[in-house]
Amino acid sequence: MIRAAVDAGALVKMLYSSLLAGLSVSIVVSLAIYGVTRSSDMRRLHRGGAATAYAVLALVAAALTAALVVYGLILLTRK
Amino acid sequence: MTGDVILVIVICTAVAFDFTNGFHDTANVVATPISTRAIAPRTAVALASLLNFVGAFISLKVATTVAQGFVSDQAVTTTVVFAGLVGAITWNLITWYFGLPSSSSHALIGGLVGAVTASAGFSAVNGNGLLTKLIVPALVAPLIAFTVAGLSILVVYGIVGRLRLGPVNRGFRLGQLLSGGLLALSHGTNDAQKTMGVITLALVANGNIAASNFHVPTWVVVISASAIAAGTFTGGWRIIRTVGSRIISMDPAQGFAAQGAGATVILAASSVGYPLSTTHVISGAIMGAGAAKNVSAVRWGVAGNIVVAWVLTLPAAAGVGAAVYAVSQLFGSGAIGPLVISIALVVALAVVFVRRLQQTAPAPVTS
Repeated sequence: MIRAAVDAGALVKMLYSSLLAGLSVSIVVSLAIYGVTRSSDMRRLHRGGAATAYAVLALVAAALTAALVVYGLILLTRK
Repeated sequence: MTGDVILVIVICTAVAFDFTNGFHDTANVVATPISTRAIAPRTAVALASLLNFVGAFISLKVATTVAQGFVSDQAVTTTVVFAGLVGAITWNLITWYFGLPSSSSHALIGGLVGAVTASAGFSAVNGNGLLTKLIVPALVAPLIAFTVAGLSILVVYGIVGRLRLGPVNRGFRLGQLLSGGLLALSHGTNDAQKTMGVITLALVANGNIAASNFHVPTWVVVISASAIAAGTFTGGWRIIRTVGSRIISMDPAQGFAAQGAGATVILAASSVGYPLSTTHVISGAIMGAGAAKNVSAVRWGVAGNIVVAWVLTLPAAAGVGAAVYAVSQLFGSGAIGPLVISIALVVALAVVFVRRLQQTAPAPVTS
């Protein structure tokens, strides 16, 4: 009876949206920090190629973070 | 005329509730970035206040749920709404006095349910709505936040765990500005709408808005957004201390994970129209971020006190709401009852604030 009374669809939507968005943001922000830190380490070791590659990783991750936040806000304002 | 007088009292009381909601819930938004030194306390509170204001304009779905989901339209009068609000304010201030992060949302809905029950009996309460739109999400949301924050911090440590601590902490302090901003926005979106819903409910009860043409007027949105922003700006430092440092001592990565999880759960709940407790969600997220790193790092005694306050909120606010309605009826059905209770409430508030100021106020959390 309780199961029938609960709006399972809305709860499931809340669950997967939260998991997907929360983990995605954590991953891309962590990758951005990883890229920046490793790029700095590589520069100190005079490994220009690796430093550039990590800097690109940081930039892409930062851009993805911004895109995720904007996408989330757009989804919310459409409601 | 009498109806309009009561309506004005109700709107003033609703704005006062919204202020206490912002005041009480500032901690949810700013406690983690302050405790990890990601941002200066005053700046955090000012930023949270601004984003709370903006967030209030994003969606109106929760307002509709609050106004239409829990009690029968026919049973709601302006006096009932007034009694419900007084119940919520009273419970908010009691928990603030003891530094406990309880739910303003559940206090509000509990107060309303109590007042409606006193006025028209249990049949006027939408038990199904209460179960599906309040109680079940209230039980599930902190668990989701706990899980998302726990998984997030494991992922974060997996990615950056072997890097130098200095740049990583600086990075996550910056990340906390982002996740904290989202959290403040989500708080404004979810919480300001509850007051909008209650004021609109009073407007319907007073005949200013037809029940068949339910909508939230723009002026209601503006005053609700302003009141919650002002309350947030004033800041409830006692609860900030409990949330920010007494549940666990966080590092910046944990603060980021907890805030991010809290924000995503609240935004997801707002999008499906659940009037979620931001307090429950952020407390669950903080516990998750702490437990995933080290279960014994969470001060489970403090967490237990918080859970007790959560469980008591709905029945306690309902009890006060019912009692206030009963007392107001002693003065008849006019505006005298709400007026007398309003004056008594203001006097009681003054006494509580003076007593609290006379005690040693805890310093804002800075470490």
